Amino acid sequence: MIRRWIPPAALGIVLAILSGLFVLHATPHFLMGVALGRLDKAGVNRFFHGPLATDRSRAIVRPSPDLAYSSCPFDLSKGPVLIDVAPTPAPYWSLSVFDRRTDVAFVRNNRDTGGASIRIALALRGQEVPVGLETLWLDDERGIALVRILVESRDEFEAIDRARRASVCQPL
Amino acid sequence: MRGWARYLLCAVAGIAAGSGAAVWTVKAGGFGSQARIGPWRTGTDFGSKAAGAYTRAVVARNGLLALPAREARYYTAASDDEGRPLDGRCRYRISGGEAGGAWWSLTLYGADNFLVPNEANIWSVGSAAMAPAERKAWTILAAPDRQTGHWLPTGGVENFDLTLRVYLPEGGGGSNLPLERLPRIQRLGCA
Repeated sequence: MIRRWIPPAALGIVLAILSGLFVLHATPHFLMGVALGRLDKAGVNRFFHGPLATDRSRAIVRPSPDLAYSSCPFDLSKGPVLIDVAPTPAPYWSLSVFDRRTDVAFVRNNRDTGGASIRIALALRGQEVPVGLETLWLDDERGIALVRILVESRDEFEAIDRARRASVCQPL
Repeated sequence: MRGWARYLLCAVAGIAAGSGAAVWTVKAGGFGSQARIGPWRTGTDFGSKAAGAYTRAVVARNGLLALPAREARYYTAASDDEGRPLDGRCRYRISGGEAGGAWWSLTLYGADNFLVPNEANIWSVGSAAMAPAERKAWTILAAPDRQTGHWLPTGGVENFDLTLRVYLPEGGGGSNLPLERLPRIQRLGCA
């Protein structure tokens, strides 16, 4: 009797392992899709300059209330996208680019640039970009470019908010 | 029971058990669950291509779009120094010193991974709010009711956790802060 259950049980164990691995590998892709879906509402290939995080902020889990976030959900399916981050009057600001798998494909901060702006093209391999323009080559057409700016005091936010609106995320 | 029914039953049970176990481990995994240092948990490969499937899944759920270690290190505590879960109805003294980076901030999150509603609209305290001398030895009180000095409101929630963000960490963020350089979390009492 028990012997007849051994092959089905072995199949169940194999499927348990495979389905567990599938869930682990699919989770980042799925959650990134959810985040993109939320951010896309404010527009694709353009920056959305969010307010400082509060308890009502729900777009991204565990937001930092000390940082001003500007997010650009990008879509490279129709061509490259230009990101140009303007300097802001803050001790720290950075640009990070996350690919569809949630990996950080690029990160650079104001100390790296000596306070100068960050100008970079995002492109799929094979797409054409102007010669001389720094380019981040990506394997997937979707992702998120995120600018973080340290806001030491909420009183400084207005000036920082004005300055960051000079930043650009747009089709090249 | 027929042979095909045994296979079907075991296949369904296996898929359900495997998927359920994976979801449970991801939900149970704290943000930065690679290393435990006292009550603090941390990791170095957030957002990194080197991250394993489990770390990647946990970070996606609990800290999507986290910065890599060279930009910021994240230390999260869901319990006090004695291992008791952090309870928003209790008062805590959190004390520490220099955190080995350009600046740091300590943020309080509810069990849903979002900021906790409170009348004062305070969700974090950071080194930017402190004079240089104070940064060497500071105290923050986490409590549901207003406190003198640096107050981190708990909102009276049943459970919360704390994330210490250390920006532009020393040494490129490649090593963890030792326990003696991480904040102490002492429970003072409960309502």
